[in-house]
Amino acid sequence: MTVPDDVTRLLAERFGLESGDPITVSRDRVVELGGALKEAGFTYLVYVACAHYPATDAEPDRTVAEYRVRRLPVDEVAFRVWVPTGESTPTLVPVFAGCDWQEREQFDLVGTIFAGHPDLRRIMLPEDWEGHPLRRDYDIATRHHPWR
Amino acid sequence: MDPENYDPEGDLMILNLGPQHPSTHGVFRVKLWLDGEVCIKAVPYPGYLHRGVEKLCEKLSYVMITPIVDKNDYVSPFINELAINMAFEALNAVETPRRANYLRTLGAEMQRVGSHLLWLGTFGLDMGGALGGGASVFMHCFRERELILDCFELWTGSRFHYNTLTVGGNRHDVPAGFAELVRQTYTLIGQRADEYDAMLVDNAIFRARTKGVGTVDAKLAMELGVSGPILRASGIDWDLRRDRPYAAYNEVKLDVPVRYEGDCFARYEVRMAELRESIRIVLDLIDGIPEGPICALKPVKLPGAYKGKVGQAYAAVEGPRGELGTWVIADGTDKPYRCKIRPPSYHAVSLIPYLAPGNNVSDIVVTLGSLDPILGEVDR
Repeated sequence: MTVPDDVTRLLAERFGLESGDPITVSRDRVVELGGALKEAGFTYLVYVACAHYPATDAEPDRTVAEYRVRRLPVDEVAFRVWVPTGESTPTLVPVFAGCDWQEREQFDLVGTIFAGHPDLRRIMLPEDWEGHPLRRDYDIATRHHPWR
Repeated sequence: MDPENYDPEGDLMILNLGPQHPSTHGVFRVKLWLDGEVCIKAVPYPGYLHRGVEKLCEKLSYVMITPIVDKNDYVSPFINELAINMAFEALNAVETPRRANYLRTLGAEMQRVGSHLLWLGTFGLDMGGALGGGASVFMHCFRERELILDCFELWTGSRFHYNTLTVGGNRHDVPAGFAELVRQTYTLIGQRADEYDAMLVDNAIFRARTKGVGTVDAKLAMELGVSGPILRASGIDWDLRRDRPYAAYNEVKLDVPVRYEGDCFARYEVRMAELRESIRIVLDLIDGIPEGPICALKPVKLPGAYKGKVGQAYAAVEGPRGELGTWVIADGTDKPYRCKIRPPSYHAVSLIPYLAPGNNVSDIVVTLGSLDPILGEVDR
């Protein structure tokens, strides 16, 4: 999916970012970018998805959160933000109401922490579950208490 | 009742709708705060059917995932297979042959009719006693859906969880006599769809219970990522099959039904129009399938033979409930690094906290039925 021209201009002039699929943005500007895209007509939230990357020699243990928004009918932009484990990224719930459940699901399964989220509880797993199963270091055979 | 937690000023009753209630269409719980019969607040609790499909996708190789995702949206497995295989093909830019594309389009439309028939039956059931027991529409629709499953059984060998699509194309070609069976079946369903429409729309109770109930605001629906018939019933003319054609949809004539009221009746009308449109597409396609190979890659003998190039891809198809997408990250091995499935029902169910307040409990059941959620794909 190619990024539309007006978004490329917006990114270069206001944010000093390179266009791409996905666009990488820093944590302190992700809310501003989401708001600017919504003003530019990208009002449809497609998904929020996170993935976990264990620590390497170059990078610490971290997760990536990717947001994809769409301007109907076809234009689509994805932007992502890197979140080191133990730190948080600001929530986009004030911009897109749909981020509520999407970010909750990703917090539950991947463990990314969204600061300022109004209701950051587990949504898929039981409230007393330990760990986040979609992290790469979570063993699929992890034993849990038998009464669960 | 625990007197410590009782609020004498609020005097609200808390009612758990579900998780085992038939009107929740699966295992789904909504906690309702009721003032008399009127709902004040609703908090949904999904997750009862969580099976860890996305974690399984990280542990299985690409060709082994198709039969797993069959069980996500267990009412339209063919479209699940299509969505996930399109994402895997996008990773390596695999072009599927023309005949495979046509068969995929045909199968998706056949499946859409079956899925909408099941929705129509259960929606009649949700109305309960209002419609002469409600079960008559349900039984009629299930009778017709059996015929569709017979067509798929002849094609793939399975009535339901087909495992017929794979990376690069299809695994089963259509057998002799298939076109004739499909033509008979869908002509019959097309005739009977008018009868069901008459049974429901001519019923004053059905109209009274659906018109003006559960109105979805289009702006909110877009922010929540709601798609498919729910969005089209709220006046947004958008359909992935027409606006971003995949498989053979760029060679198929397609009318997209749109309604503007946004209530349960508008969603009913959109789905009935889609049902007829899909029947028409099936009957158009069945005679015009081009000849040729059905798979672009050699038949996979070992599960690990297909490897995704390093990168990521997102592919989406228009399922019966809306945009069914797959976001996949590949790291060059025979297994996906991360595979996120974007189910339309998850976004539809997130509408409930906005729709339920102000309605009677009986209207909430109708609203939930008109959203057509499949909890297998909400929870995954």
